[in-house]
Amino acid sequence: MLEIKNLHARLDDGREILKGVDLSVAEGEVHAIMGPNGSGKSTLAAVLAGRDGYEVTDGSVTYRGRDLFAMTADERAREGVFLAFQYPVEIPGVNNMYFLRAALNAQRRHRGEPELDAGQFLRVVRERLKLLDIADDLLQRAVNVGFSGGEKKRNEIFQMAVLEPRLAILDETDSGLDIDALRVVARGVNGLRAADRAIVMITHYKRLLDYVEPDRIHVLQDGHIVQSGDKNLAAELERSGYGTFAEAPEAAQPA
Amino acid sequence: MSAILDFPVKPEARPYLDAFRDTAGEPEWLARFRKQGLSRFAELGFPSRRSESWRYLDLQPLQKQPRLPAEPGTLAAVPPESRFDGASARVVLVDGSCNVTMSRPLPQGVWLGSMRRAINERPDLVRAAAASDSGAEHPFAALNAAFFADGFVLDIAAGIAIDEPIEVVHFAVTPGSSHTRSLVNLGAGSRATILETYAGTGRYWRNDFASWRLGEGASLTRIALVEEGPDAVHLGEVAATLGTKAKLNSFVLLLGGGTVRHEASVRMIGEGAECHLDGGFVVDRTEEANIVTNVDHQVPQGTTRELIKGVAAGRAHGAFQGKITVREHAQKVDAHQLSRNLILGGRAVIDTKPELEIYADDVKCAHGASVGELDEAALFYLRTRGIPDAEARHMLIEGFLREPVEEIADPALRDYLLRRLTRRLERLEE
Repeated sequence: MLEIKNLHARLDDGREILKGVDLSVAEGEVHAIMGPNGSGKSTLAAVLAGRDGYEVTDGSVTYRGRDLFAMTADERAREGVFLAFQYPVEIPGVNNMYFLRAALNAQRRHRGEPELDAGQFLRVVRERLKLLDIADDLLQRAVNVGFSGGEKKRNEIFQMAVLEPRLAILDETDSGLDIDALRVVARGVNGLRAADRAIVMITHYKRLLDYVEPDRIHVLQDGHIVQSGDKNLAAELERSGYGTFAEAPEAAQPA
Repeated sequence: MSAILDFPVKPEARPYLDAFRDTAGEPEWLARFRKQGLSRFAELGFPSRRSESWRYLDLQPLQKQPRLPAEPGTLAAVPPESRFDGASARVVLVDGSCNVTMSRPLPQGVWLGSMRRAINERPDLVRAAAASDSGAEHPFAALNAAFFADGFVLDIAAGIAIDEPIEVVHFAVTPGSSHTRSLVNLGAGSRATILETYAGTGRYWRNDFASWRLGEGASLTRIALVEEGPDAVHLGEVAATLGTKAKLNSFVLLLGGGTVRHEASVRMIGEGAECHLDGGFVVDRTEEANIVTNVDHQVPQGTTRELIKGVAAGRAHGAFQGKITVREHAQKVDAHQLSRNLILGGRAVIDTKPELEIYADDVKCAHGASVGELDEAALFYLRTRGIPDAEARHMLIEGFLREPVEEIADPALRDYLLRRLTRRLERLEE
């Protein structure tokens, strides 16, 4: 599904953030990428989604056998890549339902399927809401405008449910959520686990992993993946902290 | 004609003076009114760009190539795209010449007809309005007084409400200029909604003047949809007076025309009156559009709300100028003015000039203005959902412009305007 090889990326200002990331995610798997602030987690998400302001200087990313970087951000999305934002953007004047129907129809056009009219789309929406047990209170509002932090994250998961991506990247979707909102988000993610879908959760905290059990956990540190393991790695990190990996080489050197 | 030659005549006014003819069979007061207007225009000429309220509009091409008053042409039918379904009555003015059709009878106490008819049947009403709107300070209102051929008049008696909109379609088919003069007179506690659409083909100049008088507690909603042809010049002027607790909802949407200016001047003469002057403009290629508002709070307790949104692309130029005056004794006035603008590309220009002039000391007044570009973060967000770049840009532009349109209470009218807006954005050249 996703093959990241020796990925190097820097910001437009020249700062190198990713310094050789290797990661392989297969269909049906849920991976968690953990790491301290500034380790490159959100940069990895941004580079995969195609955000401007980053330059890939080395390495490759293959998505379902295709060079991901040969596609624009919107093409990637139409090919099934979804990014749940850490900070979802407010878009005044654009209705949530209208926006999401345009997004779904853009994908359907891309796949050569007929577009859905408002009525057909509403049926899809109702079905997904029920599946994930999400309230429908956000649908008739402008995209993310005036939403609480929890509502914004819930809206991201709802969009994911409607768009049914093949690869979902959740960028700190758990940050800033109270326990109830976290449960709603986790229920959504668990409900969307599927044999033909891969999910990459980027998170700072172990908390989300108590609700969504990953197949693999990776620790990103200073632009590299420094350790990978199964779900038990999270518990280990909780005990020892990220410092174990970053500080280790320096600690070995006498002052 | 000799009387007016005593005045100094501005050279650009000369062709219009030469084209002036007395209209046979008009009452004496009207003939005098026209001559006064002509003299005044001869004195004033075209406003220069040094004139504050005209500084953002380039009238040089019109000044150099006069568009003289023309005989009205004919139109078989109003094109369907310029028609709103659901009106109680439709007024069609072809090159300014007025024709009224009713979908159903209007209530007792409502007089709706052409200005020509009103001059004969309701002379006192027309004459009173003429006396207060002589156009002494406004060159094109003065020119309009001299040349207006027709227009429409709506007079509603006290306490009568018309719920369904009255539709007025101004359609131009003949090169030259048409000068329309209309009057809306609402008695105490009466209520009406008017949708005016302006469209046409060819090189014409439309000089539209309207006078609105709202009696105590009267309520007028007026929507102007300007979709003129690419070679058209559209100068619209509204002079309104609001009595005690009267309420005016004005919304202008400027979507087309080479050179378009809409000016609304509102005098708040009764306490507790409320005035909403909202609007938007979309310009591209080399179009120019100006929205100008003047609100004069002469008495206490008035409310003014203005929200104007502008979008300019290509080499177009848009501008908003709004002035709110609060006179010395007009305490407790609450006025708020906001101009927000979006520039697409590096060659478009938008000017915005909100202005408060306050002489009272116990008022609540605020204004704000912004000019910005499309939000890149929002654009990226839409694209990460698979929406192609061009479509995403349109969504954001439309979203930006929707805000004032969504203030319109009547759902059918609101949807109609949103559809027109979408149509306009589909042909936007960035």
